Amino acid sequence: MASAVPQSPSGPEGLTDAEMMLRVKAGDDSAFDYLVQKYRRAMINFMYRMAHNSAAAEDLAQEVFLRVYRSRGSYEPSAKFTTWLYRIATNLAVNHARDTRHERPETMVSLDEPDEETGTSMDVADSSLSVEEKLVRRERLMAIRKTVQKLPERQRIAVLMHKYQQMDYKQIAEVLKLSESATKSLLFRAYETLREQLKSFI
Amino acid sequence: MTCKEMKEVMPDLALGLVPVSGENANHLRHCTACAEKLEQVQKTMALLDEWQAPEPSPYFDTRLHARLKEEKEKAPESWLAWIRRPALALVATLLVALSISLTLFRSKADPQSSPGTAVSDLQQLDKNNDLYSEFDVLDDLQVQPDVTANP
Repeated sequence: MASAVPQSPSGPEGLTDAEMMLRVKAGDDSAFDYLVQKYRRAMINFMYRMAHNSAAAEDLAQEVFLRVYRSRGSYEPSAKFTTWLYRIATNLAVNHARDTRHERPETMVSLDEPDEETGTSMDVADSSLSVEEKLVRRERLMAIRKTVQKLPERQRIAVLMHKYQQMDYKQIAEVLKLSESATKSLLFRAYETLREQLKSFI
Repeated sequence: MTCKEMKEVMPDLALGLVPVSGENANHLRHCTACAEKLEQVQKTMALLDEWQAPEPSPYFDTRLHARLKEEKEKAPESWLAWIRRPALALVATLLVALSISLTLFRSKADPQSSPGTAVSDLQQLDKNNDLYSEFDVLDDLQVQPDVTANP
């Protein structure tokens, strides 16, 4: 399973993330480093699935942390730290997608070629697979990415947070500013679409 | 538990965030449609697992620290920050001086005070005094009987 949001609520000295953030607010940069280390993988993974490009994902994840740092003075622990973090990330990712929608041809998003920037491939090479099996796997992966990308914006974000970040309904609802029951129904509709569209691969 | 309630909890059940037990398990034992749907959603979830994200690059931390350092070195922009910029300060000073001299010039050129002030009331009384002093002349005027308003 990939990149769940770190679940352990306590940091060094048993402090919660919100308490660590209050330390950042008070000028403790090591507390900020702690939060970066804890959430950087989750942020990059979330951004990768939102932006479909690993270089852009890293830039966006860095921007999330920079915004957290910039906003430290006004931080109030009224909500969970992760809710605040994902709200910043979601806004950034949505704006990035809107700003670059004309720059991203359909093929660039759907093709599962190695990433231009990093040279890494998401379709991890497996020497035990035959050429035919590799082709089938590639096609399947392409279909997954395409189908998720075609979901309406909120459904897509909800699925990425639920499936890949392992966030619960309540937290997703808070990030998307929806009721919990609306989030449940949003997710059910999204999974129904995915099930229907991907049934030939199941 | 109803099928509607089962639908709501199904994504969490399929993902394993909620255990299949108690009411859920009981409903699934008796409702074939829900049990089949759950199985399909579970398979969909398993398929989605194939979409892996890359590991953070080794340069992520270095880049972030560089951007953070840049951020910290930026002086906080206060509302008085413009004073530090000589060109802006000079233009602002010139504008202030120009507006003050224009105001002074206008007040000298047109000494009339604005209505409603004590000075303007006194100026008005002065004017009226001139008018009253000429009232006697009006008294001396004779009405000419042959003049009609509409000849």
